[in-house]
Amino acid sequence: MSNSTMLASDERQFILAFDAGGTMTDAILVKPDGSFTVGKSISRREDEPRSYRESVTDAANNLGLTAAEVHARCGANIYCGTGMLNTVLTGNGRKVGLLVTRGFEDITVMEGGLTYLGQSQNEALHQQLHKHTRSLVHPKNVHGISERLSGGCYQGNIHLPPGHELIALNERQVVEATGKLLDAGVEVIGILFLYSFVDPRHEHQAKAIAQRVLRERGMDLPVVCSADVAPVSKENNRMKSLLFQCFAAELVRDSLLSVETQAKAYGYQGRLLTLLSYGGAVNMEYERLYETMISGPIGGLIGAQFIGEKLGIPNIVTADMGGTSFDVGLIVEGRLGMSKSADIAGHRLALQMVELDSVGSGAGSVVWVDEYKRLHVGPDSAGAKVGVCLNFDRLTVTDINVVMGYVDPDYFLGGQVKLDREAALRALDIAVAQPLGLSVYEAGAGVLDIVNSQMGDLLRTMIASKGYDTHDFTLLYYGGAGPVHMYGYAEGIEFADVITMPWAAGFSAFGAACSEYMHRYSRGLRVLIPNALSAADRGAVAGQIRTVWADLKADAKLEMAREGVDPQRVTFRYGIAARYIGQLESFDTALDSGEMAGPADIQRLIDAFEAMYTKVYPDGARFPDAGYSISAVHLEAIAPKPQPVLAEYPLSPAEPDAQAYVGSREVYHAGGWTPFKVYEMAALKAGNVVPGPAIIRDPMTTVVIPPQRTMRFDKYRILHYQ
Amino acid sequence: MAVVNERKHILPATAPSAALTLREQVAKRDRLTQETGHYYGITELSLRDADPIKYERFYNKLHAAVLAARESARFVAASPGSREMGECLWGVTTPEGDTLAVSMGFLSHTAIFPVAIRYMADNDYDVNDGIEDGDVYAVSDGKTGGVPHPGDFYSFTAIVENGEVLGWAVGINHLMENGAPVAGSWATFSVDTFMDGLVCPPMRTGRKLKQESWWKAIWERRTRASTMNILDDKMRLAGCAMINSAAHVLLAEFGTDYYKRAVREVIEESRRMILDNMRALMVPGTYNGCAFRLVKYEGLQHVWSHADKNTLIHVRASVEPNENGLLLDTEGSSRWGYHSYNATPGGADAAVFLGMINTFAHNTKVTAGIELAVQRHYAYGSIYNPDYEFTSNANLWAQTVALNSIGFNAISRAAFSRGYLEEAFTIDGNWGAFQGAGTTSDGTSYGFTNFEWLGGTGRGAWCYKDGEPLVWAAWSQVATIGDAEEFESCVPPLFYLGRKLLPGYFGYGKYRGGPGNSSVHWCVDPGKHVALTRPNGGLSCTTSVGLGMSGAYPGPGSFMISARGTNLPELIAKGETPRDARELLEQVDSGRLRVDNLEIWKSDCPELALLDNDLFVDAAGSSGGWGDPLDRDPALVVQDLNDGMAPDYAFVSNMHGVVAQCDARGEWQVDAAATAAKRVTLRALRLSESQSAADWWRGERAGVLAKDFLPQVHEMYCQSLSFAKFDAEFRRFWQVPADFSFNKD
Repeated sequence: MSNSTMLASDERQFILAFDAGGTMTDAILVKPDGSFTVGKSISRREDEPRSYRESVTDAANNLGLTAAEVHARCGANIYCGTGMLNTVLTGNGRKVGLLVTRGFEDITVMEGGLTYLGQSQNEALHQQLHKHTRSLVHPKNVHGISERLSGGCYQGNIHLPPGHELIALNERQVVEATGKLLDAGVEVIGILFLYSFVDPRHEHQAKAIAQRVLRERGMDLPVVCSADVAPVSKENNRMKSLLFQCFAAELVRDSLLSVETQAKAYGYQGRLLTLLSYGGAVNMEYERLYETMISGPIGGLIGAQFIGEKLGIPNIVTADMGGTSFDVGLIVEGRLGMSKSADIAGHRLALQMVELDSVGSGAGSVVWVDEYKRLHVGPDSAGAKVGVCLNFDRLTVTDINVVMGYVDPDYFLGGQVKLDREAALRALDIAVAQPLGLSVYEAGAGVLDIVNSQMGDLLRTMIASKGYDTHDFTLLYYGGAGPVHMYGYAEGIEFADVITMPWAAGFSAFGAACSEYMHRYSRGLRVLIPNALSAADRGAVAGQIRTVWADLKADAKLEMAREGVDPQRVTFRYGIAARYIGQLESFDTALDSGEMAGPADIQRLIDAFEAMYTKVYPDGARFPDAGYSISAVHLEAIAPKPQPVLAEYPLSPAEPDAQAYVGSREVYHAGGWTPFKVYEMAALKAGNVVPGPAIIRDPMTTVVIPPQRTMRFDKYRILHYQ
Repeated sequence: MAVVNERKHILPATAPSAALTLREQVAKRDRLTQETGHYYGITELSLRDADPIKYERFYNKLHAAVLAARESARFVAASPGSREMGECLWGVTTPEGDTLAVSMGFLSHTAIFPVAIRYMADNDYDVNDGIEDGDVYAVSDGKTGGVPHPGDFYSFTAIVENGEVLGWAVGINHLMENGAPVAGSWATFSVDTFMDGLVCPPMRTGRKLKQESWWKAIWERRTRASTMNILDDKMRLAGCAMINSAAHVLLAEFGTDYYKRAVREVIEESRRMILDNMRALMVPGTYNGCAFRLVKYEGLQHVWSHADKNTLIHVRASVEPNENGLLLDTEGSSRWGYHSYNATPGGADAAVFLGMINTFAHNTKVTAGIELAVQRHYAYGSIYNPDYEFTSNANLWAQTVALNSIGFNAISRAAFSRGYLEEAFTIDGNWGAFQGAGTTSDGTSYGFTNFEWLGGTGRGAWCYKDGEPLVWAAWSQVATIGDAEEFESCVPPLFYLGRKLLPGYFGYGKYRGGPGNSSVHWCVDPGKHVALTRPNGGLSCTTSVGLGMSGAYPGPGSFMISARGTNLPELIAKGETPRDARELLEQVDSGRLRVDNLEIWKSDCPELALLDNDLFVDAAGSSGGWGDPLDRDPALVVQDLNDGMAPDYAFVSNMHGVVAQCDARGEWQVDAAATAAKRVTLRALRLSESQSAADWWRGERAGVLAKDFLPQVHEMYCQSLSFAKFDAEFRRFWQVPADFSFNKD
């Protein structure tokens, strides 16, 4: 059995991707042509291998295969779970002990005062109800250590340099505190010192001392430094990253490795992978495993990036409409948008995350009218209970789609589940139409108008707030409900193209399968480039950056080698975090190359920064007079990994085959009842053009094509809305 | 009007002939609102009722644009207060400056929008020399712009279509330095507005969403943190540009007529909802409150003899629900003075609305509706509405926190009376931050403000549970103290030795308040000079900002310690540096920390120059308790002892009448029988030391009749009694003879 993460794609035909949610574990089995089948099982936190076994067996059976047969032909296996998140939410993680800079012993209780993360403005406004999240460490297991390093000044080199030792590490205190933590029965020790992102030497010294104490006691516990987990500024966020790694990641790692053991027992010859919150896949040996905390929603964006690359589309806005929310992400010039911190379960982490913006409009979102006649959609959701039409007690968006005729009550999940349209109709009347004094269908149309409008606004805002133009972007929509509403949220926005896939409902899992094997590294710097800086000094700056990149490359090759990757096959992408001198925030700036030979390359950095900045902000927000500062350099290390294949098909005539047409259905659309032709997705071929008004049905989704519009299937069977 | 028309003939007019001038628009808003009792005469929400879907869609778009502006623009900032904390805000308004939608941030600062626009209208800014789309106006003056204090800087950008002003996009943030004689963003010890720093009445500083070149020179020459201020200025503008753009998209999509009507309906709709909330939450009646603020100017202002005295400011307010919302009346408060604690009506509004928005507008569209539902009476000549045009308002928060606390406390009592227990808690008004300036060895000058303890503190107790640590900032729904690593990088020679909760520092009661916070700053290599000051608004100098409720103690006030000339290197060598105010004082008492010059500042501290190894300790106050401390569950007392939250056993034992023993593991255990006995004893002692209310009243009345007061108290009474309402209340309560007068015989 190979221990390699990578297997050549031509040797294997299937890709497996798992979404192990809190309730269900979905196994997505991607076939060589990109289509897929889904297997399901109950999620068992206490026995993840069993859930894995059952779900993959279910998927394999759909194809008439066994789990072993699938694994034997599997080229990549990606497992996205919520185990770490559940560990944090339930508080059932490892017992953590912390060593912190003396005087910061209360940092875990204070958590910067952030008690409103994830709240809407109205919720946050009611601030008498704010409260702290449950701490992941007992305050008594946090000990202060006398030490201090300086961090440098935002004004530049006007005082002590970054990393200057103000107070030497008090080694005696480290020994004593470690002893107390071990006496208290901690299972992992974290170390958080101020400015360790600038210079980690005190943290590393303390780690060595703690490990010595452990050895003397014959113990073997992990000792984790914040500088190794999240080497970036802001001690509060860094503390949370450290705690997540200590509290949850190591615990979950064991469970994930047991799932991998199960996969190998079935004959899988590669490594089980999981997704990073900033895109990319890693195996379960990855050192900073907490970075995989949020991986589910990332898949769709990675899939979009993959599709964009295959089709030559550089700029994509993704729209993922699921049961509870509508998530929007951006791919600009082939790269994923990133946020610098991640708010997860009431904690703010120093964790780069693929930037997603959401509104609480999902297919299961509850629709209601308050006493002021204000119509609300969400935030409550029916989840898997769908709506009044199935087994929920409140009106949902899906109910309205059923009432209006967009969703066929007799073909939900391919007809496996029958929906009660009459119940939905009554609920719409009582919950919305009567309070607003509208007819029931006017009310339904109005609700859908609001929902679609909110989603459209989010799409527009996401693009505009970054300084881009919708004309330069292709809308790629997916999620089970995405194609149902696309006609509405894309209305009035001029995109370069509007596309989806026949497998839109499983696109996130497909995307997970498309991920690169990738690590991302950042190293904090305090480099100033005032306008008057001489060429020689610019050259020195270039040398500094060059050295950091070289160090990071060496780290990357070492780490990847440990994970079974051939270092010779690793390639790199480069970036910096830059700002005007004086600004607090740095802006990530992608670079075309890692060339850093001399002063001219510094100008290239500045030009790249200015180009990025002026896309986001108006000219009046530029401040080149201040000079520039580089606060971090980034490196992405990429290793090859099997990818799904987008199958090409011969083009058929525009007119769909007769067997693709399954009938006609009345839909209340644009103010009246209109007959929509209904087609079967599976029977439509590359080259077909479906004119609206029409509906393309599929067991997993419904594509709505309004009058005057068409849907064209290209050679990959990708659907283009025109 | 004739003059206006004449000017329009002479100068290029902004508005087409059919459009109203700004002055006419403001007058129309005033007239229609006054005549009908409904905002802008909107008696029917016709757009909402005709098509509620379209109406909500319209507002969603407007609101989304403002929210997005903050989340994008704040990253341009240089100051931690703006980027990370709640010290910034964006909004969009009607042409008259009435708020339509706001971002996250310090919401009540919207109160000044209509003040600044009224000034511009009254002075015909649109006529001479016109207002064009994307024009940028800077505002930081309290008198003309309503700005709470000049440290709050506003950028107004005009939204104009076809020559008609249709609204304003506004960005605000708190500067880290605003160029007053006392460095920082609150000009402590200023006497009049000429000492308040960079004070701008509404003035155009830019065109087409870009500042004029000269504006940069103002920041560079008139403030000590120019780079930071320039970037913050660009931040405000960036957000305004996004809102301006979104507004034009909306105008194109919905049409100008719809836009103009919808923005009025939005405000009227939220006014009605706020009224409903007030009726639902409050028991009718009059909720009175008062507080007192020290002004310690004596000896500090020899240059300005008219200001060289100590005074006591009387902060007085009543809150009374009525059919139009509620009336907040400050009559009886002191008159203005030659000090920095004066307010203007706009600034007072910003304080008053802090609690009102939280409680009454959190489930509505946040608009100017709150300003319509809260009627304010600031007596002319008082500290809230001076009859002198050059008063300083640089440090108004140091007294208006008390005004806010009185209002918030009134609401809390009203909600408690109505049974909304989760809405009622003891109100904290902790306020204070240190500020200063310095010059490094290489000659680089800088200014700074450390906002950390403005960003959050403990919340007061509820009637059913303890308050929580670090969860509350009265002026912002996004409480946060930021990061030490960020603040430290802004102030070169100051380094943190501690940033902690302050154990035992809360109002005691059946339920206690959340603990206060404390930080220790260590001076290393001060270069040529570094000095700081710290204005203070805590209970130690502004009573009644952290009241206790139902027999509990109030929250302790904020204070500062300067420890200059220390043996800190010895403590560093031992690893025993002081981590908070309590520990520092204990170390001084024990002799471990030797200090040449130790000072504890309970009011504003004057400029403190620091040298190597000097320490400055900032201790943020906390909030009050709820209920009799003798009713506290002994298990909670012991829990606080074991958690280190209340470290002094002897103190809490006497406070709560709880007896406990510490076991071999160091854990405290309650002695139930001894506790019961001690409580009986303490209650008996309490009774024996008490007097009846009638006896207290008689004794105090004798003092009143004898005019037996300190000069500062005497002057305070003279000022308050010059207002008829307080004069009547005073005479009625103390039952003084008709000819009684406080004026000196």
